Amino acid sequence: MADAIFLALSVITIGSAIAALEMRSLIYGSIALMGTLGGIAGFFLLLDSPFVAMFQLAVYVGSIAVLILFTVMLVKRELIFKKVEDKRRKFVGIALMLVFMVALGSIIMNSGIKTITTDEPAVDFRNIGADFLTYYWPALILMALILTGSVTGALILARREDVENDQRTD
Amino acid sequence: MSVIAPNFKFSEFVKSILDNVFWILLIFALIGLPAAQIILFYIEMPVINGELLTPFLALTWLADPSRTLPILKAFMTTDLFKIAAFPGFGFAALIAAGTIFIERKMLAKLQLRVGPFYCGKFEGILQLMGDGLKLISKEIIIPAKADKPIFWAAPIIFVATAAAFVALIPVAPGWVVADVDVGLLAVFAIIGFFPIITILSAWSSNSKFPFIGGIRALHQMVSFEIPLILSLLGVVILTGTLNLSEIVASQSNFPWIIFLPIGAIIFFITILAELERIPFDLPEAESEIVAGWLTEFSGMIYGLVQLGTYLKLYAFAALFVVLFLGGWSGPMIWPPFPEEIITDGIVMGPITAKIPGLPIFSQEMLNGVLWFIIKTVGVIFFILLPRGVFPRIRIDMLLSLGWYKLIGLAFVNIFIALGLLYAGVLGPGGIL
Repeated sequence: MADAIFLALSVITIGSAIAALEMRSLIYGSIALMGTLGGIAGFFLLLDSPFVAMFQLAVYVGSIAVLILFTVMLVKRELIFKKVEDKRRKFVGIALMLVFMVALGSIIMNSGIKTITTDEPAVDFRNIGADFLTYYWPALILMALILTGSVTGALILARREDVENDQRTD
Repeated sequence: MSVIAPNFKFSEFVKSILDNVFWILLIFALIGLPAAQIILFYIEMPVINGELLTPFLALTWLADPSRTLPILKAFMTTDLFKIAAFPGFGFAALIAAGTIFIERKMLAKLQLRVGPFYCGKFEGILQLMGDGLKLISKEIIIPAKADKPIFWAAPIIFVATAAAFVALIPVAPGWVVADVDVGLLAVFAIIGFFPIITILSAWSSNSKFPFIGGIRALHQMVSFEIPLILSLLGVVILTGTLNLSEIVASQSNFPWIIFLPIGAIIFFITILAELERIPFDLPEAESEIVAGWLTEFSGMIYGLVQLGTYLKLYAFAALFVVLFLGGWSGPMIWPPFPEEIITDGIVMGPITAKIPGLPIFSQEMLNGVLWFIIKTVGVIFFILLPRGVFPRIRIDMLLSLGWYKLIGLAFVNIFIALGLLYAGVLGPGGIL
């Protein structure tokens, strides 16, 4: 059962990733990208970590894919893309990807991943939180600082002082 | 005289029905029964209690009153019943239908109108059924330059997403479709799908008003998701769990709205924005952009979107009840099931009917459902109320409210929760 689901998820993820690259319509391409990100969330569910899966859905599908979709909708495709059909570049790209994947796969396979026992209980998300607050606290503080900085920067960039609004009453 | 069928005669109508019944019976007797016999000949029937389960035996069991209730109870524990009927889709759709009627009637009373009046004998209670029949029977018009696959798929995915949201809501102890360990995160993940569906359906109709409405909806939903998530973190901090059933169980003594009123207010305002209700109904502003992102929908597609919208309304109201008002917990007001019916059966003069399998529902479950419905209907009332009171606000006021005020207040709420936790008042190991 789990193998069948894994196969189906792999087909969905890789297929929609290829579709996201190859589709002529940008909107359908970004929908296919959502399929890829959702498929990865499915892998996390299969790996007994629903916490990460839900964050994958909420952050990647719910926010980042929406941003991509929104940007794509405001773009006139003909203006920024010229059709460059080059068969040789395409095949070289595919070959490069295959070499890269084989190398990565052999590294992962030789790293002792086969000896990991898989019947251990799933990690409780409370343990993740506890680890973040104890052992990994510098990483947590660093992430918090980066996030705060980027949010503050975004707010300052988005603020427009030059616009005078006569209707504004507040 | 009806305009639709000017030559209508009641006798011919009855004759046509009788004709249809005759032909159905004839075809069933000549083809259906032999086909059933042939199929049953090849199926291996199970043996239950040493008896071979023939179709006659199965029918006998179903007709036997002493076995009906146990079979019914066994059916009610199945996933199918939970998904389709009680805590899932059917229950939510029923509440959604009631909400639509109450909304129209209440809004009319607020504005000194009559509202639905002529459909049905009493105060137009059949208006909703009439509207539904009208929507089903109308033609579905698709704009010529629309993107057809997305245009067809978007309303269906919208209803499916709303139903998935409904599936996470616990209604009574043990009565929840999907009792997941990370229920609140699943809620956040599902809420994130609504802006995608909205903007896709708006884009696919290839029309100006839906696109403007869709972009407004996207702005509004994405920017109000952040205070929504932040306002619920206080509850998560105090309960130490993300499971919605456990969050309800933690409120058996007092609801969290007593300690986190700011979070409850922020969550309520963000509910209004996520549901596109007045005063935040900019995506559907009917006086500016026809009907917003719903402009090009017609027929049952529009009906599906409305169904999804009201399912979403029920789900958000129920989520408010679950997180802040204590869910199903409340004083026991449901009367206990009479003992003598279980022990002696129903005595009517000389006849004694002993019905095994009673009571169908436990007293706790019925009481919990009663309290849950009372609270949810109350929250739905407060969601509907601003529609008769407030005007629509501008989009820049909306966005500055969401980004500056609500997020700041949400952080205040989180600090209140943290203070209560570290002072040892509430939370895991607290004194209360």
